Amino acid sequence: MASINLENVGLTFSLQEHRRVALKDYVIKRLFLRSSNPVMRVPALQNINLEVHEGDRLGIIGHNGAGKSTLLKVLAGVYPPTEGRRLVNGQISSLFDLTLGFEPDASGWENMAYRGYLQGETPRTIRAKMQAIADFSELGDFLNTPVRYYSSGMTVRLAFSIATAIDPEILLIDEVLSAGDLSFQRKAGQRMQEMINKARLIVMVSHDLGGLKKFCNRAIWMDHGRVRMTGSTDDVLAAYTVKMEGITPPAPAANETPLIKLAS
Amino acid sequence: MSNYLAAIWKCRYFWMSLVQMDLRTRYRRSALGMGWSLLHPIVMTAVLCTVFAKLWGLNIREYAPFLLVGMCFWNYISAVTTHGCQCLFQGEAYIRQYPAPMAIYPLRTMLGASVHFAIALCVVVLLTWIFNGFGNVPALFSLAPTLLLLLMMGWSMAVLAGFSTAYFPDTQHLSEVGMQILFYATPVIYPPEVLRKKGLGWIADFNPLASFIELLREPLLNGTVPGPKPYLIALLTVAIVSTAAATTLVRLQQRIIFQL
Repeated sequence: MASINLENVGLTFSLQEHRRVALKDYVIKRLFLRSSNPVMRVPALQNINLEVHEGDRLGIIGHNGAGKSTLLKVLAGVYPPTEGRRLVNGQISSLFDLTLGFEPDASGWENMAYRGYLQGETPRTIRAKMQAIADFSELGDFLNTPVRYYSSGMTVRLAFSIATAIDPEILLIDEVLSAGDLSFQRKAGQRMQEMINKARLIVMVSHDLGGLKKFCNRAIWMDHGRVRMTGSTDDVLAAYTVKMEGITPPAPAANETPLIKLAS
Repeated sequence: MSNYLAAIWKCRYFWMSLVQMDLRTRYRRSALGMGWSLLHPIVMTAVLCTVFAKLWGLNIREYAPFLLVGMCFWNYISAVTTHGCQCLFQGEAYIRQYPAPMAIYPLRTMLGASVHFAIALCVVVLLTWIFNGFGNVPALFSLAPTLLLLLMMGWSMAVLAGFSTAYFPDTQHLSEVGMQILFYATPVIYPPEVLRKKGLGWIADFNPLASFIELLREPLLNGTVPGPKPYLIALLTVAIVSTAAATTLVRLQQRIIFQL
């Protein structure tokens, strides 16, 4: 059973006002007990309680900097929560910044293998999928050239084709629906739909309210690192739209009930 | 611990293919291929040979293989340290997307360096045989524990270098300076006897790197199995360094992403 459980999760970034200190400066500062580089604490997530179960399709909305992507990275295990607990059952696949993490000197084929291995494939299982990935990306002979020479559109094509070639248990998506040119976007949309149908549990961040409405059965609204509202996609999106259009929103009920139960 | 090693093993195809790619991109750029990485220690050996063999009145047949072993060892140690400094930044894009064990990035650095080291060792064996006749093959088996210790040592040093660079950006610079100092304090280009004669024997005695070199030189050059003392010193050094590396991993590997 795939499930995600966050209990009282908080994440505070400790940022330094200036760049990182050099070791010699650090030693000198320690000796003379003077800090000219104060640490800023930025609470990115506070008091998040979240239960997502098998079959759920959860959408996350909120303004820029509300903590949506951070929350997704905590779910993926990339960021460790600084408070609270994270419990995850199931193999996680994530579609974050797609173009990140290509080896520029390696060819498209090679990068396919690297990504696959990182997602738990073996040479045998990836070989079976390589042709399918290549076909979907429509990159043809370009796959033999180093990724360094790809245009950004080509990179996105390759990245999307690789990332969606796996059969995910838990799928985390961070606004990747706008991939490549128009014809590829249509194809990508179909592929996403297939993946969303196949995955056992999905959490997606998006500003595309129409897409969320289509894909998700539940939604949460993030606001300044907290969950502002939770409920069915229609209710949350309606409240969010009202707020975004400048009308006074209804009282945020979600803050009083910290435990968000998203039973399917 | 065993869970962690299992996690590293689970993504073995990933780091193995990265090592493979690192080697290929390095060799692809040069017409000489593999020879390019050997050229540096060989040219250095040739240059130093002509200078120091004259200076100290050494026999070139003995000094050349002696020097080459030292240079190969040193190239390995300095590669894991200085390249190790960059290992986490090199893997940053992956770290930001997948929660794989952090130890695989230093491992990638170490394995790349040890391939070069292994090739260079083969050249040393050949060179010794050409110069001084067929060596004592059974003694070469005593290299097995030494190489294992060196792998552990390299991995641990790359871990320490990588994490330290993530926190303190001047680590690479400082470690390069440190390595330069250590180079002269280690019997790489000169025989340890030179130190002993001048009453500086303690430099070789208290330098754990000198023990590693001795462990390599004895079987390769003299065809003898080293005594227990250098093995013990090397083992103790590796134990200390790898404990430090393991502690670093346990305490910092989850939080390191905030430093990248």
